[in-house]
Amino acid sequence: MDLVTNLTHGFGVALSLQNLGLCFVGCMVGTLIGVLPGVGPVATIAMLLPITFGLPPVGALIMLAGIYYGAQYGGSTTAILVNIPGEATSVVTTLDGHQMAKQGRAGIALGVAAIGSFFAGCVATVFIAALAQPLTKLAQLFGPAEYFSLMVMGLVFSTVLARGSIFKAILMVLLGLLLATVGTDLETGQERMTLGIQQLSDGIDFAPLAMGIFGFSEIVKNLENPEARDVVRNKIGRLLPGWEDIKQCVMPVLRGTFIGGLLGILPGSGAVLGPFASYAVEKKVAKDPSRFGKGAIEGVAGPESANNAGAQTSFIPLLTLGIPPNAVMALMVGAMTIHGIIPGPQVMTKNPDLFWGMIASMWIGNLMLVIINLPMVGMWVKLLKVPYRMMFPAIGIFCCIGIYSINNSSEDVLFTAFFGFVGYVLLKFGFEPAPMLLGFVLGKLMEEKLRQALILSRGSFSTFIERPVSLGLLIMAVLILLLALMPSFSKQREEVFTE
Amino acid sequence: MTDNSTTGSGPGGSLKTYNVSQDLCGGLFLIAVSAFFYWKAYPLPLGSLRAMGPGMLPVTIAVMLAIGGIILVLIGLRNGSARQETWHLRGPFFVLGGVIVFALLIRTAGLAVAGPASMVFASLGSEEFYWKESIIFSICMTIGCILLFKTALQLPIPIFTFF
Repeated sequence: MDLVTNLTHGFGVALSLQNLGLCFVGCMVGTLIGVLPGVGPVATIAMLLPITFGLPPVGALIMLAGIYYGAQYGGSTTAILVNIPGEATSVVTTLDGHQMAKQGRAGIALGVAAIGSFFAGCVATVFIAALAQPLTKLAQLFGPAEYFSLMVMGLVFSTVLARGSIFKAILMVLLGLLLATVGTDLETGQERMTLGIQQLSDGIDFAPLAMGIFGFSEIVKNLENPEARDVVRNKIGRLLPGWEDIKQCVMPVLRGTFIGGLLGILPGSGAVLGPFASYAVEKKVAKDPSRFGKGAIEGVAGPESANNAGAQTSFIPLLTLGIPPNAVMALMVGAMTIHGIIPGPQVMTKNPDLFWGMIASMWIGNLMLVIINLPMVGMWVKLLKVPYRMMFPAIGIFCCIGIYSINNSSEDVLFTAFFGFVGYVLLKFGFEPAPMLLGFVLGKLMEEKLRQALILSRGSFSTFIERPVSLGLLIMAVLILLLALMPSFSKQREEVFTE
Repeated sequence: MTDNSTTGSGPGGSLKTYNVSQDLCGGLFLIAVSAFFYWKAYPLPLGSLRAMGPGMLPVTIAVMLAIGGIILVLIGLRNGSARQETWHLRGPFFVLGGVIVFALLIRTAGLAVAGPASMVFASLGSEEFYWKESIIFSICMTIGCILLFKTALQLPIPIFTFF
């Protein structure tokens, strides 16, 4: 069977001593940085990107993927132990995970999170391998109009999934698209809105933007709410869950994996929705919903599995269509481009080593996370006890060195400071930055596809409706938006996010 | 912010608000941003739909954003909309200032100077600040960073440029 031979090939690549080592180091460093409160996967990857520069492409991407899973898992650890979510996807874990920790069951919460994530990771790896080929074939049928409509759908998704008002999220998407137009025009080569700054002629760099908005404005925000930190002082306790706990977790893990994996494929940060949806489902299914929020183990197992499954399946749009579905994947695009790989359907045929090697290393990375993390929990707890007044300058200096090293450019560091300020301003006005970042990420590609489509159709917008696939995608986008705006649904949406 | 403040700004309670609608402020901010982009994109050739020029998209999006900003202002003018949170100066000034210090010193003086300088500067952003602790900690961290990034990973970061 194709799938088996391909996966075997992938494991052959990923199991080489060097790649295994890189995967290990990636998971390790990723967890170390991801554990720091307020540092999510985006900031972690942007910070650690430079350390992969000297590696061969396959090794570099395997390591980056390891960093990504490590950061994800580190975020959950912080969520459980300190009640600070590293990023949006581990918000849900704070609810029951931290309660469990307060009851002296921190070890079990961490153990269940790790085991659930590992199981979800295994399923998602097979899922990606199975879906990659058919989707790649599908992608080859896509013309510019279909690509454009798909991205429109992704952006609509991201506005529905953002917290707070949908209208404000749409405005953020527009702002992101506007920022993406800065730089040299693709077709005429004319400089647009660069204000005469030379660094801007290639457009605004993604890493400083993401780091400013997700790294530094987060620090500033945390400094304003000093009381939010609450490191668990109880004993961590046993790590391996007992038989009773396992029985309670089996179904939530299965459901979480399914929900998260499915939502993760959607372009437009679908992965963020997974944990929320899983938590809501578990609460509905539970015999006694009142236990939730008071340390229910299902409330950790389900969302954590969904989180990890989604994190992995969100590679699918990138690897098959070349569309980054969220900010993390946009950084992966950056990393691939540095190594001369253009993400898209051609990666699978042109770089089979890279493609299947990376998929296989996802599974290995998940296994390593379980092995590394469980014995090292004690160390993470010690790290988390460092007071924030010392932690944040350290985070800051890592961010600065990371950003500087990407291009050896001190101007990039200045841009980071600028975007940190912009992020702070947006937070204060109640704007959610995630949709803006996605708008920015997709902006250049959307403009290119829009122009191509309009050239082909001789300037007629009807091409987007006349082509059936494109029409289908646009109808889907409209339906999602209408659904989200319906009073009954929007109430539910609010409930999900305020929990 | 120059909005008429009733509760006054001050560090600490982030729940303090100004007596002005958050959506109103946000809308005005977006209008200002889109006006700036419109002004900068205006001279670029628009082209036609059949062959779009470089100016077409920026101008269109800027106009859409401005319209959105106006709607947001109108929403904000309704009674009972959420109030604007207060602004703090200390955190953003020192934390982001620390980044700028790093950017200015990394090329001119090197990491050995930029590291401690930017970390101590950033530390001032916290209300719990102790000179001694901050200086010792930042020097230790910088040594760690040099060992990690320069010695172990061999990234081309200038360490000390005065020699």
